Amino acid sequence: MMPHRVRMLIAKELRQLLRDPVSMGLCLLMPLVMLFLFAYAVNLDVEDVSLGVYDADRTPASRALQHRLTATAYFELKRQFDDTARFESALQAGEIRLAMAIPLGFHERLLRGERTPVQVIADGTYPATASLAAAYASAIVRAFPEVDAGAIEVETRIWYNPSLRSINYVVPGLFAVILMAFPPLLTALAIVREKETGTIQQIYASPITSAEFIAGKLVPFGAVAFLQMTMVVLTGYFWFAVPFRGSAALFLGVALIYVMTTVSIGLLVSTVTRTQLAAMLLALIVTLMPSFLFSGFLFPIFTMPVTLQLYSQLFPAGYFMEISRGIVLKGSDIAAVWPQILLLAGYTLAVFAIASWRLKQKVA
Amino acid sequence: MITRLLGLLRKETIQFFQDRWVLGLILWLYTAEVVLCTYALSFEVEHMPIAVVDQDRSVSARYLAESFGLSDAFDVSYRPSRPEEAADLLAEGRIGLALVIPSGFEQAHRSQMHSEVQVLIDGANAHTAAAARNHALEIIARLEQRRPAMNPPMARASAYPVTRIWYNPDQTTTAFMALSMIALAGMMVGVIHPAASIVREKEHGTIEQLLVTPIRTGELFAAKTAPALLMGLLSLFPSLLIVSWFGVPLRGSFLLFLALTAIFLLSAIALGVLIATVSRSLQQALLLAFFGLFPIMFLSGSLTPIESMPDVLQTLSLGSPLRYYMNIILGIFLKGAGWPELWQEAMWLSAIGSGLYLLALLAFWRRIA
Repeated sequence: MMPHRVRMLIAKELRQLLRDPVSMGLCLLMPLVMLFLFAYAVNLDVEDVSLGVYDADRTPASRALQHRLTATAYFELKRQFDDTARFESALQAGEIRLAMAIPLGFHERLLRGERTPVQVIADGTYPATASLAAAYASAIVRAFPEVDAGAIEVETRIWYNPSLRSINYVVPGLFAVILMAFPPLLTALAIVREKETGTIQQIYASPITSAEFIAGKLVPFGAVAFLQMTMVVLTGYFWFAVPFRGSAALFLGVALIYVMTTVSIGLLVSTVTRTQLAAMLLALIVTLMPSFLFSGFLFPIFTMPVTLQLYSQLFPAGYFMEISRGIVLKGSDIAAVWPQILLLAGYTLAVFAIASWRLKQKVA
Repeated sequence: MITRLLGLLRKETIQFFQDRWVLGLILWLYTAEVVLCTYALSFEVEHMPIAVVDQDRSVSARYLAESFGLSDAFDVSYRPSRPEEAADLLAEGRIGLALVIPSGFEQAHRSQMHSEVQVLIDGANAHTAAAARNHALEIIARLEQRRPAMNPPMARASAYPVTRIWYNPDQTTTAFMALSMIALAGMMVGVIHPAASIVREKEHGTIEQLLVTPIRTGELFAAKTAPALLMGLLSLFPSLLIVSWFGVPLRGSFLLFLALTAIFLLSAIALGVLIATVSRSLQQALLLAFFGLFPIMFLSGSLTPIESMPDVLQTLSLGSPLRYYMNIILGIFLKGAGWPELWQEAMWLSAIGSGLYLLALLAFWRRIA
């Protein structure tokens, strides 16, 4: 590998990147858009579920029960119904997500000291919220009019994230997603474009070796990725006040390895596809979708069937996500995360080896 | 004119089916990805490894620990003797929850006194943590109902809930996941494919050749959008097979579903054409498509509930065609909703779709012709 040739390649690549300010701007803006969307849009806690009430009783007690529900942040009274028959069409149209029917004689039966049923119907089509909303509503109804004495008291403590804020969990995971979304896509597109326009033949014809070619792509795209990540870390820390408990140096070191992993995947994608559209679709399927869906970013891995847990292990985003969350949220040191680091490093080497082998075949 | 259009359509269709890789990848998005996601992704807590610290070693404590182990939500993987060990396991991420039953639990419980158990939860994933907490509280509440009546039970005036979950009584994510993956696939392919096919002609300069022929701009526009629409509708069928294989019911009208899907796909395609007209290279177009797709997917309610978003984002979400389509697809499949329930969503979708389409046509005219 000749350093000056690599330098030339890097200069060429950088010039191509900078010549297209729209793409460059999109690359830098996109992670921030993702961050803000994730931070504000991904709220898996239940809030303001639209509630429909049929109050057949119309007494102080029934109004008090309604008030207990609407006083919480969970429910928002959307509509009062005159009979339960209208529930169906309102639920079907998505106007309300939860319906409650308070029967006639509710107040009186409570005064007589009886147990009194209250009907709660939840729209189950959005399962993530349906069960939580139904559980919250049931708990409020059960605690009406007074709290049960002499019950087992459960002291729940939620660690690392006591307020159950999604943002703390999302930001460190987002590093893994963002670094997976852009570098492979950009790398793959850049190389496949050279294939499409035929300029890659000139590279094949020149004395540049495949290792130099790869290094020439790796450095500029790695730099872009690093810039993106720094922006996300800083925005997360200063804007969203996400704590950074562990060592920043360790984090940067691991992130560097991970950037190489992602660029190497982009290389691999570029060696098997011939058009930019195919490269983008393949990149979508092997990088963005798995890093988003199968890495434990939003959906926990332990609930997956075993075969799909294996599928999720095929992609490196999950490894980095564990490291990143460990360092950022729990303050893990190198002793705690070295197995994942080793895995990541091995993975990178393997993908690089395959990619440069395929590239060499083309050259020869 | 018809012959010109037919000729163009033939060219577009041939080009469409020429790139085997692209075809295969689109098919993958519509089928394999749907299967993978439906199988794998759920927000339910299942088989979460937990630790139980039983310092009481009584019948009640064992019963409580057993009922945790018997539930689908939890697997008792560790039984450390001290709470500190459970805390370590939690810190290492080996378990998601630890149940600590202190000594004296049974005695207090039997004598109707204040008894206490401790539940420690790894809160890193807020949603899993909340779901695990609810499961744990439910199990403990069930134990309470079994409480032996030492004294005659005090009659206590109380309301009790009769809870029903409609349309999805098993509370599985299967139906939701399968349907939302189909909607996402339609959106992605609908935007990306036409964008790429137009920009490629721009980059290669072949669009100039088309423009010097007697072909009218409107014809070219139609020829660019029609195959994508057709492909989008055709790709639905393998997905629908998968959906029915997963046992997702189709309770509403299939024709209404097809018609509304066509409108939805047209709005996605129009967005793709718009992107193509403003971008100069394929890289720009693909990045722009990404840039547009992300918010559209995010603000659609397909991943996270819209009600929980801040007001600004809720307002923005009104502009996402996917939002209306999600309500439509879930409504038709799961709720058996028909035109009377869905007309509002359909109107919104058509308004956005036709707006985008006109805009795309206009931009196409000005920029390309």
